[in-house]
Amino acid sequence: MADAAVLPPARPPFNPWPAVIFVALIVLALLFLAPTAGVLLSSVKTTREIALGALWSIPAELYLGNYAEVLANPAVHRYLLNTVLVSAPATVASIALGALAGYVFAKLPFRGSNLLFLVIVSGMFFPPQVILIPLFRLFNAMNLIDTLWPLIVIHTAMGIPICTLLMRNFFATVPNALREAAILEGANEWQVLIRVALPLSLPALAVLATLQFTWIWNDFLWPLIFTQSDEKRTIMLGIVNLRGQYSVAWGVQGALSLIASLPTLVVFLFFQRYFIKGMTMGAVKG
Amino acid sequence: MEGDKRFWRAVLLALPLAVFAVFVIWPLASSFYYSFTNWNGFNPDYDYVGLDNFQKIYTDKLFYQAAINTALWMIAAILLPTALGLGLALLIDSSVPGSAAFKSIFYLPICLSAVVVGQIWVWIYQPDWGLLNTVLEAMSGERLRYAWLAKPDTALWSVIVAWSWQQTGLSMVIFLAGLTTIPEDLLEVCEIEGATTAQRIRMVVIPLLTPATVVVIALSVINSLKGFDILYIMTGGGPFNSSDTLAMHMYNESFKKYLMGYGSAISVVLFLIALTIIRVYFRQLRKVDELYG
Repeated sequence: MADAAVLPPARPPFNPWPAVIFVALIVLALLFLAPTAGVLLSSVKTTREIALGALWSIPAELYLGNYAEVLANPAVHRYLLNTVLVSAPATVASIALGALAGYVFAKLPFRGSNLLFLVIVSGMFFPPQVILIPLFRLFNAMNLIDTLWPLIVIHTAMGIPICTLLMRNFFATVPNALREAAILEGANEWQVLIRVALPLSLPALAVLATLQFTWIWNDFLWPLIFTQSDEKRTIMLGIVNLRGQYSVAWGVQGALSLIASLPTLVVFLFFQRYFIKGMTMGAVKG
Repeated sequence: MEGDKRFWRAVLLALPLAVFAVFVIWPLASSFYYSFTNWNGFNPDYDYVGLDNFQKIYTDKLFYQAAINTALWMIAAILLPTALGLGLALLIDSSVPGSAAFKSIFYLPICLSAVVVGQIWVWIYQPDWGLLNTVLEAMSGERLRYAWLAKPDTALWSVIVAWSWQQTGLSMVIFLAGLTTIPEDLLEVCEIEGATTAQRIRMVVIPLLTPATVVVIALSVINSLKGFDILYIMTGGGPFNSSDTLAMHMYNESFKKYLMGYGSAISVVLFLIALTIIRVYFRQLRKVDELYG
């Protein structure tokens, strides 16, 4: 004790690494943010300011005319409405179907169920091009080209692999004793699924809702193939369509991109935890 | 009791299996069927042409170009997002202040659509006022008007960079998840034994990250096979098909030239490549499970 009073307390040797790492990360983060920031900056500038070569600079003043222009365009309203009409039902339907299948694979396994599960899950790894032509022929024969139906149905079907995977993995963590107790009290499997397993699986449902909604909202290929008239376009195709109309109005294009990304950005900001969990769970447990 | 189980299995599986079979499995099988026909997309009738479409693949120069580009894309996909994602994960994991914010920043591009990402990068590569040329001009002092996306030499690589920018966040979070599984005391032992940071990363952290690495590489390769949306937006496969991938080539032959039979043959090849990769992936996952699980 006496020594401690005399000697100054041992100072850890200076370690520059945390500071270096922090600075490196700041630089990398700025590089990563630059592209997105460019769109944000352009969206609050007048076309004139951009034409003078100032797309990437900080705007002299905040100009909101681009947003007003986009929001006043009835085509944009239609595109957004169409996208909601596709992504809402397809998100719900794919999760519902995945929950049904996932429950069987987790709680009622049978001979060959592992193989069947593997076949379903591998569906999420194939490029969509491998089923494009037959689906085009099918919906053409059903006279459903240029309606929203093919998009809803295909997104539902294509969502089954990831939804089944995540729901099975989550249901597997629900104790079997709970299911058995409920069965002993006279409940059937449907009641166990709805009243016991699903209420315990809200985090998994949140994960899937954020993932599915983002993917379907952002999709480009299926609406490109199945919609033709402007009436049925979804927002991502709408952006491409309107590019001609606003060909030099870069600011309007930027505002349009941001408005189109707003729903997924909001989902990302509020449910980021679930989103990341879903991405890693889907990848690692495959 | 067992009869009950069988009944509920059938009831619960019926709808998901029916939807999956009709809209995924059946179209996949039909793609094989149409690859032996000359269907043109309009006419309900078509002829059976045997192996003609596959013979055509054999002589199709554009197919070769697309196959090589797809292979390049895969290699770049392994190198760029995987290496960058690993680096970022290691930096962020070193208990740096604000790690949550950094994580969000690098992850943000994932929630943007290919259309929006494509548009952002078209602006970056724009010859006259694009960010890239502006920065290069400021650095070199010369006037550069290089059209990155309009030159066959750089079109493909320019798109791959944009795509990697979006994918890196995904690799990073998978590596970060892998890093949390490395036991803390193991790293402490390294420190006590006097290992340098570089040694610790090379000999302990990276080998223990093998499961995450398998997943990241497999996902990057599989996602690179899907390379379509962002290409369609940025170059459309041009100029002169120099940035075509197999997915793009399949789309062009089927929905631009309306050679649906030939397009089906390309999609069959695409399926077989994907199947091979997925089988390797599953086998590696099992091996990793045995070693590390």
